[in-house]
Amino acid sequence: MSDLNQDGPRGVLRSGWTAAVGDYAIAGGWACKGTLLVVGDAAGGVYSFEGTSGTIRWEHSEIHQGGVLAMDVHPDGTLFATAGQDGRVLIWSAEDGQVRQTIDLGNAWVENVAWSLDGQWLAASVSRRVHVFGVDGQEVWRSEDHPSTVSTLTWSASEELATACYGRVTFFGGSSGSVVQELEWQGSLVSLVLSPDGNVVACGSQDNSVHFWRRSTGEDSQMHGYPGKPSALAFDDSGTLLATGGGKDVTVWSFDGDGPEGTHPGVLEFHVKPVTTLVFARRGRRLASGARDGSVVIWSLLSDGEGGPVGVSLVGDSTSMPDVVSGLAWRPDDRGLAAFDASGGVTYWRVMDR
Amino acid sequence: MNTQQKVPVTILTGFLGSGKTTLLNRILSEEHGKRIAVIENEYGEVGIDQALVINADEEIFEMSNGCICCTVRGDLIRVLGNLMKRRDKFDYVLVETTGLADPGPVAQTFFMDDEIREEFTLDGIVTLVDAAHIEQQLGRSDESTEQIAFADVLVLNKTDLVGTEGLDTLETRLRDMNRMARVVRSEKADIPVDTVLNLSAFDLDQVLERRPTFLEPEYPFEWTGVYALEPGRYELSLAEGPDPEMSLVVKTAQGSDDAALREGAEWCVRRYADPAGSVTPGDDVPLEAHVSLQLQTSGRKSFFIQVDAPVKVGLYAQHTAEEFDMKLLRTDNGVEIPVEVERIWVAQHEHDDEVGSFAIERSGDVDPERLNAWLSEILRERGVDIFRMKGFLSIAGDPNRFVFQGVHMLFDGQPDKPWGDMPRLNQLVFIGRNLDEDAMTKGFDACLI
Repeated sequence: MSDLNQDGPRGVLRSGWTAAVGDYAIAGGWACKGTLLVVGDAAGGVYSFEGTSGTIRWEHSEIHQGGVLAMDVHPDGTLFATAGQDGRVLIWSAEDGQVRQTIDLGNAWVENVAWSLDGQWLAASVSRRVHVFGVDGQEVWRSEDHPSTVSTLTWSASEELATACYGRVTFFGGSSGSVVQELEWQGSLVSLVLSPDGNVVACGSQDNSVHFWRRSTGEDSQMHGYPGKPSALAFDDSGTLLATGGGKDVTVWSFDGDGPEGTHPGVLEFHVKPVTTLVFARRGRRLASGARDGSVVIWSLLSDGEGGPVGVSLVGDSTSMPDVVSGLAWRPDDRGLAAFDASGGVTYWRVMDR
Repeated sequence: MNTQQKVPVTILTGFLGSGKTTLLNRILSEEHGKRIAVIENEYGEVGIDQALVINADEEIFEMSNGCICCTVRGDLIRVLGNLMKRRDKFDYVLVETTGLADPGPVAQTFFMDDEIREEFTLDGIVTLVDAAHIEQQLGRSDESTEQIAFADVLVLNKTDLVGTEGLDTLETRLRDMNRMARVVRSEKADIPVDTVLNLSAFDLDQVLERRPTFLEPEYPFEWTGVYALEPGRYELSLAEGPDPEMSLVVKTAQGSDDAALREGAEWCVRRYADPAGSVTPGDDVPLEAHVSLQLQTSGRKSFFIQVDAPVKVGLYAQHTAEEFDMKLLRTDNGVEIPVEVERIWVAQHEHDDEVGSFAIERSGDVDPERLNAWLSEILRERGVDIFRMKGFLSIAGDPNRFVFQGVHMLFDGQPDKPWGDMPRLNQLVFIGRNLDEDAMTKGFDACLI
């Protein structure tokens, strides 16, 4: 990878800026219409950087004692939520870095936090339970105990909350908390993604497979043969392509026609260590992937899942050793990409060809 | 890329009340300056400021393939994964399991999950045993049996509540179940911290260093003494000892070097297989026959040995001479005959537990293809019953020793230091349930070149 480092970013990726947070950058996202990047770290700090320059706007170190575990920006970009090992969920105003609401969920890690797509609800998971709050931080409902710790959660376009745990995906009505559907399968589900229309539910499993269900028909299928556990999953905006990690290659399944059952996936080779994160651009079949080797690739894909790299770079600047990529965030207009890494680095590139 | 050393993890298991929390607090208070994270499945009273204590419910994740060897602990994956993100990473992790925890999935987590394997190494499994209650627990639950079978260190705790004899019996039973483990005794878990931390327990060399005899064969006798005798009549005098009777074989023409003793031992094993003739005090002890000395009466007891020509005799006795203050005296002048050579053997015991362990030791090289086929077969067919195994191998054509370890069907091996001038040999230890030692030893022998 050293040649890559010397040459700097290639293809559609152009140097932007680099910055640093206090510890392992856990998560981040774009706020304020793409003018501000907010990032949380493993020491419990929350930071914000100007989108164009990387200049720090505000920072709060060690606000979540023990570390930040999850973070999500509200769809309107003005608010964001953080959650941590201190058992708290904080709702922030992005512009000025003020905490608007503090929600204390007790002496347990809050491992997931997510806003519904319409911005009405905020879901947080603690151990075997999920809690749903309004924007004002008031609890609307909480679930019964799941069979095991909730590993991940996500919202559908129709404001249903989906949770994954060992052996089960559960759909809850967003406002009522009533259980709408349970999909069962014996396996430890480590990741969860829904197709944009909410019909396809895909989960990565500890046993190195991807399991998916079609909610409309109740059919389910399983994709085996991954060398590792597929903890990174992403659907493109059309719901045609499902990109999956689970090794150093990115495996892309196409739902075009009768697929993906009985079809061969696209296999995207570039990374030399396992893929850690996958994010599609908001529009079009353009995928960003990050890996444990510190490399970030932008792929241009076809509807059958095949494709090739159109931009590559390493995280950090030329003086630093690239570390594990922990997350990626496309700017809302798809014209920029931010990467977070295990050394606490934040790297921003402009994405040129649009 | 970070290429830091892997963080060692010690697992503390043991039934409720066996003293896990006491030991944990002891470790934490002694290991100043180390950043220790504690994952607790049992909500105990750990109250030490310097350690990060994380409570997590035990979550056992079985895979859809139904293979018990793929079963992992989801809570550990989750918590350890998050811990390792911190820049001020931990020097050490302690996991305190519940009393009923199955140690298999805990150990397997460190083999099965790539991310965990990359960052952590299982340093050792320490099982606390409540000396006063373990006998009942072993009868009632598979978990306590497995916690003993998986252990690298068995801490026999609360020894003040049990007599020495009871402890010896218990220790013998535990050793039969797990020959690999080091057994330490304590009253209130007051053992040196370095007996439970930084064990590198998967390193067989260390086990051999601690207990060099553990790969040796077992014999039905514990002691041999060699005496040079002139023709005459001798008195074998015994004080009161731990047993009301004692088996004995008096072998003639016994050499005193190591090879002669081993040869004599093998010969005596066959005599010991014969039914023992009962010999009461005052009687003569027949030569080269299995006898049982009757020692029920009180005070010192005398038996007699008649020798008609100069000869060296080997006394192969069920107990050591020391235990009965056993002496050999000439009857005509009462002079005590000095013992020329003494030897202690690894004594055989009854193996009544289903769970047991055995070792294979063979010099020479193994054929890698045959070995691979044999190992694959036993792991496939007996993997469920093999709890743990470890050892090293001399692979034909390879200048380096090959070390391996395994948990159930999971096998992990790598080349180790070069053989150099060391004699090339193979040592394997298996711990499991109802293992067929003879069949497995034969299977391994067939892999030798």
